[in-house]
Amino acid sequence: MTRTNTLSTRYRRVSMAEVRSRLGAPEEMLEGKKLDHVDKHARRFIAHSPFLALATSDAAGRADCSPRGDYPGFVKVLDEHTVALPDRPGNKIADSFRNIAENDGVGLLFFIPGVREVLRVNGSAYVTDDPDVLARMRTEAKAPIFALIVEVAETYFHCGRALLRSRLWDPASQALAAEMPSAGEIVADQLSLAVDPAMFEQLLEDSYRKLY
Amino acid sequence: MQKTMLDRVERVADDVVSLVLRGDEGPLEAWEPGAHIDLVLPNWLTRQYSLCGDPGDLSAYRIAVRLDPLSRGGSEYVHWYLNPGRALEVSSPRNHFPLVPAAEYLFLAGGIGITPIVPMLRAAVASGAAASLVYVGRSASTMPFAAELVDTYGERVRLFSGGRPDLEELADFAGEVYCCGPASMLAAAEAVFPRVRAERFQPTARVFGPDTAFEVVCARSGATIQVPADESLLDALNHAGRPVPSGCREGVCGSCELSVLDGEPEHRDDIGAPPGRMYACVSRASSPRLVLDV
Repeated sequence: MTRTNTLSTRYRRVSMAEVRSRLGAPEEMLEGKKLDHVDKHARRFIAHSPFLALATSDAAGRADCSPRGDYPGFVKVLDEHTVALPDRPGNKIADSFRNIAENDGVGLLFFIPGVREVLRVNGSAYVTDDPDVLARMRTEAKAPIFALIVEVAETYFHCGRALLRSRLWDPASQALAAEMPSAGEIVADQLSLAVDPAMFEQLLEDSYRKLY
Repeated sequence: MQKTMLDRVERVADDVVSLVLRGDEGPLEAWEPGAHIDLVLPNWLTRQYSLCGDPGDLSAYRIAVRLDPLSRGGSEYVHWYLNPGRALEVSSPRNHFPLVPAAEYLFLAGGIGITPIVPMLRAAVASGAAASLVYVGRSASTMPFAAELVDTYGERVRLFSGGRPDLEELADFAGEVYCCGPASMLAAAEAVFPRVRAERFQPTARVFGPDTAFEVVCARSGATIQVPADESLLDALNHAGRPVPSGCREGVCGSCELSVLDGEPEHRDDIGAPPGRMYACVSRASSPRLVLDV
């Protein structure tokens, strides 16, 4: 939806040509570290990563990014050009799947707690229910219903500056959590419901009890 | 848990590595042939491996791990990412596959199922019993320890690679039969011998009645916990703040064993719970209430 009266409409739009000329050329070394496959370092990174952000977009280019997480190595590297993500039970909205059905381009950003660098994996994806793929994702005696197969086009390690600046892995940063209202309070407020936020909190906690 | 250091990683057959885990704090806990340990991997997974070394040497444990092509992250981690020098925690040894005293033993091993059998055969031979081993594998190169076993025990060991032995020929064997291998091998052994002592790597596919809710009384605190139909006893206890250690979560490893004081457990494990015990990950209740020693 296009709005006309928000601050987002007011600022000068800088063209890519101007961005490039003002930033200067990218460091060549960095271009060189982009690979077209999952090498042994990327494989090891994925085997130790319990969390990633999955970016997708629909046919019209509307974008979405969603979190995926489980035990380290929950994403399986099937070969140098193929990785598989389990689809654990979530909110059943399936935004990512709907987008991928329209536009198979995906971007994955893998994190390892304590590691400043992150791994970027870009490629194209589809949904499968292949039993051999799902068997590798069984946890607590349950296999996921679906998995996402990503055909890898590009992998590279992204430098650690953003994570350093954000102090993301500094335990002291967790004090920020105390500044946020609880999820129950947010939901009660967003839905404008005159109910006890503690009830939402309890519902949410109950739903978190069953992760698989 | 016991602290160990990964001392040696050695390839002992196609897709099989042997790990030597040296005790970090003096001698490791003693074990009997047939025992296994939980190995806690850096990727948060815990896996069970039979001890295949020498129970007389408690400076280290030895295990062997086959890379499962459908690995969920256990054997794959061991094969791809574990290097010597890594600190690793292991559990106390547990034994669901003990060697009972007998005058005659027949050991049947399939593939990586040889691991618990190696120390069992050694102990059986040392006891003076008549002991023999039938060891089956897809091909010679996939069979760990085959050459050493033949060197040490000579004609007591019969190897079958790429074919199946005719167990019917052994049908009149009257001693103790031990089997560790794939489900098809266990089934073949159970079809021939009246009693087979077995260790499984995978839960057997069985059908149980519908899961129903039940109540658990924790005897130590007197607290009562409801186990809903869609939750395991293990999860219900953990969620109620009574953490129970667990490993496989599918009834084969035994790490979530609990003492039952009253009520009727419905056993769904593949271990064979001893009297008064149950495994919280898969087993439920056939009485409306269980009293557990937790």
